Amino acid sequence: MTLLAIDKLSVAYGDLFAVREVSFSIDEGIVFVLLGANGAGKTSILRSISGLTPARSGSVMAEGKSIVGFSPHEVARAGISHVPEGRRIFPNLTVEDNLIVSFIPARAPMPAAQALAAVYALFPRLAERRKQAGGTLSGGEQQMLAIGRAMMNFPKLLMLDEPSLGLSPVLADLVFERLAEIKRQGTTILLVEQNATCLELATRGVILANGHVVLAGDRHALQDSDFVRRAYLGV
Amino acid sequence: MDDLQAALLLALQAILSGILVGGVYGVLSIGLSLAFGVMRIVNFAHGELVMYGMYAGVIASKSFGIDPLFILPVSFVVMALIGSAQYQLVFKHFVGHATLQQLLAAIGCALVLQMIAQIIFGADTRTATSFFSGQYVIFGPFFLSMPQIVAFAVAVVATLLVELLLHTTTWGKAVRAVADDMETAKLVGVNASFINIGAFALSAGLAGLAGSVLVTYFPTYPSVGFSLMPIIIIATTIGGLGSIGGTFLGGICCGIIQQMTAMLWNSALQDVPLYVLLMLFIAFRPTGFFGLRSE
Repeated sequence: MTLLAIDKLSVAYGDLFAVREVSFSIDEGIVFVLLGANGAGKTSILRSISGLTPARSGSVMAEGKSIVGFSPHEVARAGISHVPEGRRIFPNLTVEDNLIVSFIPARAPMPAAQALAAVYALFPRLAERRKQAGGTLSGGEQQMLAIGRAMMNFPKLLMLDEPSLGLSPVLADLVFERLAEIKRQGTTILLVEQNATCLELATRGVILANGHVVLAGDRHALQDSDFVRRAYLGV
Repeated sequence: MDDLQAALLLALQAILSGILVGGVYGVLSIGLSLAFGVMRIVNFAHGELVMYGMYAGVIASKSFGIDPLFILPVSFVVMALIGSAQYQLVFKHFVGHATLQQLLAAIGCALVLQMIAQIIFGADTRTATSFFSGQYVIFGPFFLSMPQIVAFAVAVVATLLVELLLHTTTWGKAVRAVADDMETAKLVGVNASFINIGAFALSAGLAGLAGSVLVTYFPTYPSVGFSLMPIIIIATTIGGLGSIGGTFLGGICCGIIQQMTAMLWNSALQDVPLYVLLMLFIAFRPTGFFGLRSE
């Protein structure tokens, strides 16, 4: 079943188009990757789905219903969680309060205490740090917190904007390994990256350049494409 | 030797009085600090909200014979409602950016509120009497005004309640999340417009409450808000914009410095060192002592 369908989406800042007529759809249970260089329009697509940057034209359907014109908090309450670029954890809130503010009782199948326990099981490091201010965490821990915070919303679709940015390869691997676990537990993932190694995790995806889709297909089609080999793997 | 002892006692007296009036400066200022912390709005009409709280105390005392201290909850609720209206009409459009237009809009608000007060209450200076008016506490060589002691106690309790509200309730945590990063708070499902109007109402309610306490020992007049604003701004700057506890301590610092200057130097110049301090903080530590962490 299609969870999210984007059709001819355009996003513009003034006269400048960041995204031009991009279409793709994401089936339930998969990891969908948006791959592209800086300025390809990846972040604009996520911001537009979340309602942070209104679409200039086109449609965004979640489970068959249009979410165009929704406020960001309404999109979150519709089950779409967005882990923003740069993590953006709440620096003055404790780790636990960062998680608690993201808990929406009406959406959750369990009480807050159990939801917290589930996030701590996914990221034991956060349990150790739960009384610490978010701003005192290391970059890797902040990324775990940003993902854990999104999971407190029990998302149907988890969108992540370059979760490996600024992390060491070891920490980036850890984050991707946790995303694989989240997928195993049944959450659909929309992953934005400029690093082609994330294709290991992908079921399907598209490659973006200058706001256009240049290639769409399953993981093998993307990995084997000349475009990825030339642009990202350097072979 | 006697001179030195006398000066020392005078200084201690100034510090004690300074702490008492400073506590009230603190509670006058935390509303401003809260509105800035959450919405990045500098409400130059905050002093006018205090002024209406002061008139509420005058009306309670002179027209109904009720102690202003008994109407604190009423002042809080009424000013919270007026604040919400002010937010909906004016400040909603400026959330997130303290622009020049926002400052001008706030000053415009302040002038309108002053004008309304002048029409309703007249231009005369008015006072209120509370049960404690004129009473003093003497311990040892020190001499403390009872209304100031009571006002200080109210200020401490109000500040602690606000801190408790912000740190232990779900609503309070959402307010602090919006203060840290409004856009991300929206992304995690927080209805920021709802949080903002609540935070602004709290800010205005605190101003009203502080006014009704202040009027038990400080007379009111339509432009009293403008004369309080410098102290409010200095307390907030020293303590750290957005930090409630810090702003309260900033208020106490202002009170002590002001009283020391008045008693040991010249009461006509009591605010001068505060302006110097403000300039020093702006130059060397613009986030104040307890400014919030930013990413």
